[in-house]
Amino acid sequence: MATEDQVKDMIHRWQNTPEDDLKPEDYEQFKSLGSASLTQGDGARLMEFLQEEKNQGMVRSMGCVLMAPLLAQVVKKEKSLAHCQAAITHLTTTCRPNQLLHSLLELIEDIDPGAISETVLALVPHLQTVLLQLGDGKAACVGSALSGLQRQLSRLPLPYTRQQEEADEHGLCRGYGALAALARPFVEEVKRRNGDRVATAEEEELRTELLKFCMRSLREPLLEAELNRDSKSSLWLFATEIMLSLPAIQESPSELLFFSPPKKSAQLDVSPAMESRACAAYLLFVQLIGIDSFPAVFSPLFVLQRNMDYISQLLSSKNESHLLKGLALFAKSLERVQDHSLPVSLLELKSFYSAPQNLREVLTDCPMRHLRQSGLQVFQLFIDKLDAEAKHKFFRCMLKTSNHAGVESYIVKNIRNQVEFSMKPGNANNGFLGEELLSLLGLVLCLPQGAGTDLLNSMDRVMEGLNLLRYLLLRDEDLRSTTDVWEKLSGIKDEYLKMLRVCLGISRGYYSAELKALRADRKMKAKEAREAARSSRLIKSMTVKHEEGSNMSPEVQHQVLQSALVTFDLMESLIVRIEEITEEKLKIPN
Amino acid sequence: MTAEEQLSEGQHAIPMEGEDITPKKDGGVLKLVKREGTGTELPMTGDKVFVHYVGTLLDGSHFDSSRDREEKFSFELGKGCVGDQSSLSLGQVIKAWDIGVATMKVGELCQLSCKPEYAYGSAGSPPKIPPNATLVFEVELFEFRGEDITEAEDGGIVRRIITKGQGYSKPNEGASVDVTVVGTCEGRVFDERELKFEVGDGEGLGLPVGVEKAIMAMEQEEEAIFNIKPKYGFGNAGNAKYNIPGGATLHYKIKLTAFEKAKESWEMNTVEKLEQSTIVKDKGTQYFKEGKYKQASVQYKRIVSWLEHESGLSEEDEKNAKALRLAAHLNLAMCFLKLQEPNTVLENCDKALELQASNEKALFRRGEALFSMKEFDRARDDFQQVVQLYPANKAAKSQVSLCQKRIKEQHEKDKLIYGNMFQKFADRDSKKEAETGKSEGKASENDGMEVENGEKEVASEAKV
Repeated sequence: MATEDQVKDMIHRWQNTPEDDLKPEDYEQFKSLGSASLTQGDGARLMEFLQEEKNQGMVRSMGCVLMAPLLAQVVKKEKSLAHCQAAITHLTTTCRPNQLLHSLLELIEDIDPGAISETVLALVPHLQTVLLQLGDGKAACVGSALSGLQRQLSRLPLPYTRQQEEADEHGLCRGYGALAALARPFVEEVKRRNGDRVATAEEEELRTELLKFCMRSLREPLLEAELNRDSKSSLWLFATEIMLSLPAIQESPSELLFFSPPKKSAQLDVSPAMESRACAAYLLFVQLIGIDSFPAVFSPLFVLQRNMDYISQLLSSKNESHLLKGLALFAKSLERVQDHSLPVSLLELKSFYSAPQNLREVLTDCPMRHLRQSGLQVFQLFIDKLDAEAKHKFFRCMLKTSNHAGVESYIVKNIRNQVEFSMKPGNANNGFLGEELLSLLGLVLCLPQGAGTDLLNSMDRVMEGLNLLRYLLLRDEDLRSTTDVWEKLSGIKDEYLKMLRVCLGISRGYYSAELKALRADRKMKAKEAREAARSSRLIKSMTVKHEEGSNMSPEVQHQVLQSALVTFDLMESLIVRIEEITEEKLKIPN
Repeated sequence: MTAEEQLSEGQHAIPMEGEDITPKKDGGVLKLVKREGTGTELPMTGDKVFVHYVGTLLDGSHFDSSRDREEKFSFELGKGCVGDQSSLSLGQVIKAWDIGVATMKVGELCQLSCKPEYAYGSAGSPPKIPPNATLVFEVELFEFRGEDITEAEDGGIVRRIITKGQGYSKPNEGASVDVTVVGTCEGRVFDERELKFEVGDGEGLGLPVGVEKAIMAMEQEEEAIFNIKPKYGFGNAGNAKYNIPGGATLHYKIKLTAFEKAKESWEMNTVEKLEQSTIVKDKGTQYFKEGKYKQASVQYKRIVSWLEHESGLSEEDEKNAKALRLAAHLNLAMCFLKLQEPNTVLENCDKALELQASNEKALFRRGEALFSMKEFDRARDDFQQVVQLYPANKAAKSQVSLCQKRIKEQHEKDKLIYGNMFQKFADRDSKKEAETGKSEGKASENDGMEVENGEKEVASEAKV
């Protein structure tokens, strides 16, 4: 540490040295002197020194090196807080903006991971003052300041519950609030610009930087955030600010969401841009943020068609919040179109194939029950909106591609409903009677691996198929009118029942033997489990894929085997019933 | 009532009046011209139109206005009413708009009164438009122009639709299309034909790339005029056969009578997949013979996509499918050898070898790919295996020796490089500047060897 005299000498020298002659060592010494006086709690004296008239030259040249230690004091909320704030304010008006910005950006880069939001909050007002003073090259600086701050804030954990968001323990919400405030004057600046005049390169760059900021914000934190219109939380306000900034910087949401050509999004990487746009679509159509200034003349079908890309994107994620947003956007977009109105040719669009497939994966593979449940509702809603021909194609597609008995049985149930609908007066030309029905039945009433099919695994589908068959036989009047169809239907039925009987025989033999072996092993324990057997079957219908028997505990194995045998009995009795009906019907007409 | 009076009436409750412009004459859209337009032409379906509008409910309250946003609203003009297909609108905007704007001239200001069946129907459009609402719009048309269909949006292909097509689906690469084309250049018809071909084959039929791009943007039964810039036409070279000078802009009137898209894999049954595979295999071979390796590979890839995951086949089908897949992978390997994408060659050879271990062609082609990647050790192993399994394969034998020669050379080269390195260290230590010249000499000697080997490689390829 230098003695007081040495310090005086140094200061005297600095006062009389032109800026160009100052060496890096001088900057170092200036900084360590300042820091030392701060650690000694001498904020007041430092302030005085900085403001002294004769020191202005050196402060102007070297002052910005003190930004870091001063802000550190502010963040720590030490006793000389007011002096430090005043000193910073003095520096921001005295030093060169470019140098100040440089040291502030460095500060953001080297932020203390334990005090991210505190630092951001302390820094943003001063950063804004500095940015507003910049002349040429401002746009790029605004861009790097915003992205630097965003990068740091993104390291903070996002609140999951509303309580967490209100408590804002890590200061994430306040941080983004500060960020929005930082961007605000620049958004205003772009907005004020006269629309008739062609923008200068600098103006255009500022617009682009702000657009990037909005797009980044949409992806993070907004895509992850839990938003609710009823509780206008701070993140909800941030979302609003971002959505209103878009039209203000001449990026109208309708252009962005519906007409954005590929080359425009090339500024950002394709997938993140898709995610950002998907989030914007969600905020607009589900949370209705910014809907007031959104054109109200688009046809609902067009909106659905364009949103489908975003829905597909969101549903391809494994992230709960993305899936929730995807399902909500899917539901909202579908609600606006009329039932039975989507034509079959729509299904040829890529997104109309991928979105339902992604949804199907949510139904079969997603471990979260509430997502599977709301997923199923959207799945049904989608089916309801398809016209008859489209339903037909969609059912075929699902039966061929889902490879999941739960989904298949759901589709079979829907087929039954459609047949019922077609049989009502006036709905006959619905494509679910006659030849079209046969092509579906061919897919429903088949055992993929013939007699070797694992009936336990495809139980849901088989049961639902048998139910459909029984239903059709009972309503034979409507179907007999075209003899050809009726004959073929009987053919399919006979073939199927024959195969199913063989299959049942094999399966029953196998599972009985298994059960016997298990019983012998675990006679005592098995008894307790018997009670629960039926209920487990019910739950299984829509749950995650059937597990291998070997991975289960003996108790569960027993339950499964037991319920399998019960199911086989049920199938058997259904087959018998179907055959009875067939015979009864044979007697009547002849 | 004159237009001025109507204008001055302001935003009070609005009477529904004007001419019924619906095709069905059901009074669903009434149009009242408030100011005549200056243009002579009407916008065509598919055109991009630019308007300002103010939307009002019957009680006089505004629900939407582009003037408030200070930004003109633009959209692609749709067909509006589609026969009897309920209230389904195929356009981007509500049906009333497609019908209404299509009757406007540039500069025109009019009022469109729209019944719910031509707007948002019983669902409404929350939160702004209640169910079963009649909407009144004041619309001003500023501009319309043909639609730019290029991906780059460079204005290279601009479409004006004469007759709107059906449905949503458009021909894709490889789709079979029935078209009528009339090509015009500076008022002279140079090409007028009815054609049936597969998208991708157009070049061989004397169609410029722009025409194929145009067809891929069309719907069934659509008829349209395309303005094609030289970049997408015959370029700076022009076309001698049609007597087209370089740098000429072309006009094509195209009618897409019918087309058939390639079926999605899941839609085909096994029989179809096997049949189609045989067909596209022949097609691929045809392309290959013509030296169109890229197109050939597209065909072979379709076989793989159809048959790769097909399960539950009968024994005979299984055998056929396997044979087709094997052929597809082997041919793909050959295509990519020609296209100099050795990594893809390796992938396909590995797949082929999974289907049939020790397949002669797969091993040989993998060897060739490895050779071109300068992996001489592994290449030699493959060729050696071929020699062992198929002693009659002379090409493989000569490849083995070529590999060995290359390995030896590589060795010597390495020795030279590392030798040089030590030499250089030694040089630096003893500071003998003179040595540098000598090592440069050696390097150029190496270049000479490269060329020689290159020639040999060409010769050996010719033999295969």
